This record gives sequence, C-alpha cells and structure tokens, in this order.
Amino acid sequence: MTSRLALAARRPARSLPITIRNQVLFTLVIGASLAVLVAGFVGYAPNRLVSGRPIALWAAADPLSTAGILALGAILLTACLMTPSRTLHYVVAVLAAALLLLALAAAGHAASILTIGAKPASRISLGAAFWTLIACAALAVVDALQRLAVGPAARVLAVAVIASGAVVLATSGTFDALSIAREYDSRHQVFADALLRHVTLVAASVGAAVAIGFPLGVAVVRNPHLQGPVFAILNTLQTIPSIALFGLLIVPLSLLTTVVPQLAVLGIAGIGVAPAIIALVLYALLPVVRNTSAGLTGVDSAIVEAARGMGLTRRQIFWQVELPLAFPVLLAGLRIVSVQAIGLAVVAALIGAGGLGTFVFEGLGQYAVDLVLLGALPAIVLALAADFMLQILAAVLPSRLAP
Amino acid sequence: MPLFLIYSIGAVVALFFSALSLATVAWPAEDTIVVGSKIDTEGSLLGNMILALLEPRGLTLESKLQLGPTNIVRAAILAGQIDIYPEYTGNGALFFHIEENPAWKDWAAGDAKVTALDREYNGLVWLAPAPANNTWTIAVRKDVAESHRITSMDDFAKYVANGGRIKLAASAEFVESPAALPAFETTYGFRLSDEQLLTLSGGNTAATLRAAAEGMSNVNAAMAYGTDGAVAALGLVALKDDKGAQIVYAPAPVVREAVFQRHREIATVLDPVFATLTLETLQGLNAEIAVDGQDARAVAVSYLKSRHFLP
Repeated sequence: MTSRLALAARRPARSLPITIRNQVLFTLVIGASLAVLVAGFVGYAPNRLVSGRPIALWAAADPLSTAGILALGAILLTACLMTPSRTLHYVVAVLAAALLLLALAAAGHAASILTIGAKPASRISLGAAFWTLIACAALAVVDALQRLAVGPAARVLAVAVIASGAVVLATSGTFDALSIAREYDSRHQVFADALLRHVTLVAASVGAAVAIGFPLGVAVVRNPHLQGPVFAILNTLQTIPSIALFGLLIVPLSLLTTVVPQLAVLGIAGIGVAPAIIALVLYALLPVVRNTSAGLTGVDSAIVEAARGMGLTRRQIFWQVELPLAFPVLLAGLRIVSVQAIGLAVVAALIGAGGLGTFVFEGLGQYAVDLVLLGALPAIVLALAADFMLQILAAVLPSRLAP
Repeated sequence: MPLFLIYSIGAVVALFFSALSLATVAWPAEDTIVVGSKIDTEGSLLGNMILALLEPRGLTLESKLQLGPTNIVRAAILAGQIDIYPEYTGNGALFFHIEENPAWKDWAAGDAKVTALDREYNGLVWLAPAPANNTWTIAVRKDVAESHRITSMDDFAKYVANGGRIKLAASAEFVESPAALPAFETTYGFRLSDEQLLTLSGGNTAATLRAAAEGMSNVNAAMAYGTDGAVAALGLVALKDDKGAQIVYAPAPVVREAVFQRHREIATVLDPVFATLTLETLQGLNAEIAVDGQDARAVAVSYLKSRHFLP
C-alpha cells in the first residue's frame, strides 16, 4: 500500500521531460552561459585610461578554443541531468578544471591575436564574461569536490593541478598581451618587493596578534569578569574604519618618536611599517581573542573533570586536554585574521607602508583599472591561498593531535 | 609531545617572520639619502629622475618612492624619514595656512615665499622649480572646444555667459575651495549653477577626466591638472588661465637642510634638469606613464639620456 502511494507521488516528477539532478552545477552553467552570451570576453581600448569596447567570446577567441569552451559547457549541462554518482562528480571536477584553464588560455590567445597590428598604447583587458566563466568553473570544481567529500590530499592535488596549469600558461607567455601582464611588465622590478612587503606586513601583524591575543583569550576564560571590558574594547576597535585607524596612528606615534628619539632609530614612526602593523594587530585581536575563548569554553567540562579525576595537573589539563580540543576553533580564528589582514594591508599603502596597495592606489589615481587589478588580484590569491592552507592544516592536524 | 613540537615550530616561524619584517624595515646607514615621492604619476616621474641623477654621483640612496599622499610625504620629510622629494611651490599655501597671500599666484614670488618659510621654520631647502605649473585647470571636450572656439578661460566664461551647454565634473574641494572654482568665477566673471556641476566628493582628476571623455551624465568639462598627461589622450583640451586666477604649483625638489649641507652637489645636479621641465615636457612624460603605461623609471631615464644629463 505505502509503496503504491509513493509511486503515485513520484509519478508527476517522472512525467517531466527532464529532471535537473544537480541544481548547483545547473545554476553555474546557466550563469556562465548567460555571461558569455551577453557580456564581453575581453575588452579592447585604444589606451589604458579609457573603458574598453567589449568583444564577445566567439569574436575574440580562436574558433578551436570557442568550440572547446562551448563543448565543455554542453557536457557539464548534460551532467546536471544525469544520476549523481562518484564517477560523475569526478568527471565534472576534471571537466570544470579543464574549462577554467581553457578560458584562461583562450583569453590570453585572444589578446595576442587582437594586439597584432594594434597601436602600442592599445590595451586588451579581461571582460565580464571571462571573470564569470572563471568563477563559475572554479565553483563547479569546489562543488564537485564537496559532493565527493574528498580528503585534504585530494583537495591539495586539485588546487596544485589547476595552479600548475595556470603557471605553465603564464610562463609560456600566453598572457603576455593582456593588459594586466603589461602593467606587471612595466613594474616587475618593484612587484616582488611589494609582494614580499605585503606578506611581511601580514605575517608580522598576525604573529603579534596571536602572541598578544592568545594569552588574552586564555585570561578572559580564566577570569570571566574581564570578558565584558576586553570584548567591549576590541569590538570598538573593530568598528573603526581602516583608513581612519591608519590615519589616527600617525599623530600619537609621531609624538612618541619626538619624546623618545631612540624609537625612530628602530624604524618606529608615524608613517611607514610601524603604524601599519599596529593597526593590523588591533584589527586582528578581536578574532584571535574571541576564538581562543570560544574554543576553550567549548571544551566539554565532563572531559576536563575526567582528566582531573585521572590526576592530571592544571597545566597538564590545559596543554594536553583543553588546547588540543580547542585547536580547530583557534585555527579558524587564525584563518579569519590572516584573510582579514591580507585585505586590510592593501590600505596600509596610504600611510607609506608599501605592499600591494601601492599599485591599487596608483591605479585608482590614474583610473587605470588593470593597475588596480595588478595589486588586487595577488592580494585575492594570497587570501585564498592562506585560507586554503589553514583549512588543509585544520583538516590534517586534529587526527595527529588525537591520542 | 606533538603539541609542544607544534608550538616550538610556531615560535620559530614567528621569530623568523619578525626578523624578516625588521630586515625589510632596515634602518638606513649613516649617510644614506632617502628619496621619497607622492603616490601619483608625476611624483614617480620626478622621484625616479632624482634617483637616476643622484645614483652616478656615488651617493648611497634609498628609494621610498610612492610613499603616500601629500600629507604623508610632507610628514615624512618633517620627521626626517625621507631626505628629498618633489613638491609643488603652491602647496606652501596649504602647509602654512596662508591661502589668501597673493604671492602664491606668481611663479617666482610663490617659490621665494615657500623657500623662505620652509627654511626658517622647518629646515628644508627648496631647489630651483621647473618652469611649469601643475595647477587646477578646466578641460573641455575637444568637440565642444573646437565648435565653439574655446581655448582659454576667457572663452569659456563667454560661452557659459551666452548660455552654452556645460556640465563640469569636479571634486567637492574644487567646487568649494575659494582658491579653485570660485577664484575662476570671480576672475573671469561667470557663474556655474548647481545643474551645470557634477560634484564627486573626494573625486580625483582621473575620475573627472574620464567622466568628460566618455560623456557620463552628459558631462562635457572636467577639472584637471596643468601637467596631466591624460588630458590630450582622452580627447580633452585644457583651458589657459591667462589672468592667473589660480595658485601656481611649480614642481621642485625639497631637501632637508642637514643633508643639503653635506651634499651641495645635489643642487648643481638637479637644478639644470628641472629647468628643462616645461609644461609641455611634463605633459608628454606623464602621458608616457599614465596613458601608454610605461615604467616611470624607464620614462625618466630615457628623458635624461635624450637631454644628455645621463650618459
């Protein structure tokens, strides 16, 4: 009786001509298709200051790449209709990764074709259709890997394959004709310095924030009456707009160096690296303290009781029981502050701290979008890489920590 | 014990990065000359020229080009963090809060005034400024300029008075500061209504020029800087300020006196070069950087070589 009822209920769905079995992938394919149909794959501008004229995929890319992109899109669309299985998810992951790399190659190739015979000042920039296609392909890979519930090793492998594909394309000169590569080309001498400075700003500030925030978080858990005032201060700090905080630090630090001239010798001054790191530390403190305290309070009190019953000292309980159990939450806090600091460090260029923000603000000043991208894209890649590495670390560590 | 291991590795990594950050901050050696510049096109052009000219003189140099906006770079030289950077004479009006003084509207008098004030109060030496004026101007679309024969602010004032269609994109500062648009209006006798203005709060010339070039919101005129390289490339014409309504902003190297006393040759090297930097020359060089996207250092060096300042 029940089975017949269930059959009856299922019948209307069966009578539909098609059933979308993977709605996420379907949305991504449709989104990417619409973008490719409506928007420009690349943009052509007579110089780097004016907006580019959008050129559609089929008009810009070579026929082979266009056909490849369309074919991969069609196969992925068919995959949405097929019964989900592990094999299908693997196929989708591989095809979406291939689509991503093909789109990159097609854009680079299109640029080199369009540059032939064009004036030296003319620029070919990446269009909205390109960015949408890349984003949708990347999300399709992520979604497929999530459906497969693969372990950290497979995720690292997937990222490594795609990244090395992109690196191979870059080193073979595929992107050389694109506007952003031309921006890089004229600044390659300072780019490495800016990138290193950016990473240094982030590493120094996150390191200091952990060094200050972790003990503070432990103290807050041990002395709950501290919780109110500490979080009140840290929350207030978090609400100050970054440009304002960077600017606000100039006056007190300049005063400090006038009063204690020895500090100036150490490079501490109202402008430059010191105020940038201080501001970044202040922003990083709240997530570090909050996650430390949340992680430690989240430890099941029964486990702590059991440890005490086994005769462990307070110190042993902290290092061997509470901390390992709280570690994933602490690592999540570290992820938040790393990604946040990478983004905020861009603004630090305004107070003479250097870093990738130099390109962003120079580009904004010249209205040269591709120069802005030369600063913004590496910052995004850095943030994604930091997030990914800490995610993998979080996935790998607990199993090692467990007795 | 794995946790202790993890934490000791963490500590070593943290120490490494702290050392690294200190190393990149690296305080300058005793007699290093730190060259700074503003975070804009002309700043990097002139800063790179100063670097390229001083390098062959056997001086120890450190580059802090593209340090930040005007207030940051000015604070840096006052604090002794940088030793030399290119600044504009007219900014003396801003630094010393004497915008009303008529001296700023004259190339030579403005230079003399800022040179005297900065030497007396801040121990800064102004070297010879370039014979150029990077002041506020108004740029109009070429089609408007040609069909109505507008080349100067006088022509512009007549065009506006005769009911010509104008929509000017400008920053709030340009519209409101008595030294900017109001100074043009009183000197040339015209008045722009609110409908004829598109005010971008905090807008820079890159945004206003682009608005005019692409005709966004019917804009056909834009606030601009005199030596801006983008004006011609975007199909705009900068109007001449024949009556001198605006403060004169002549670019000149500013050096800390202590450094200048030790290295007087800085003036003998830089002065003849700045003397060649006319308005047209700077527009051309700035355009090579901002429009063609060339490296500021390459543009600076190739100019210095073409004029035989560098071998």
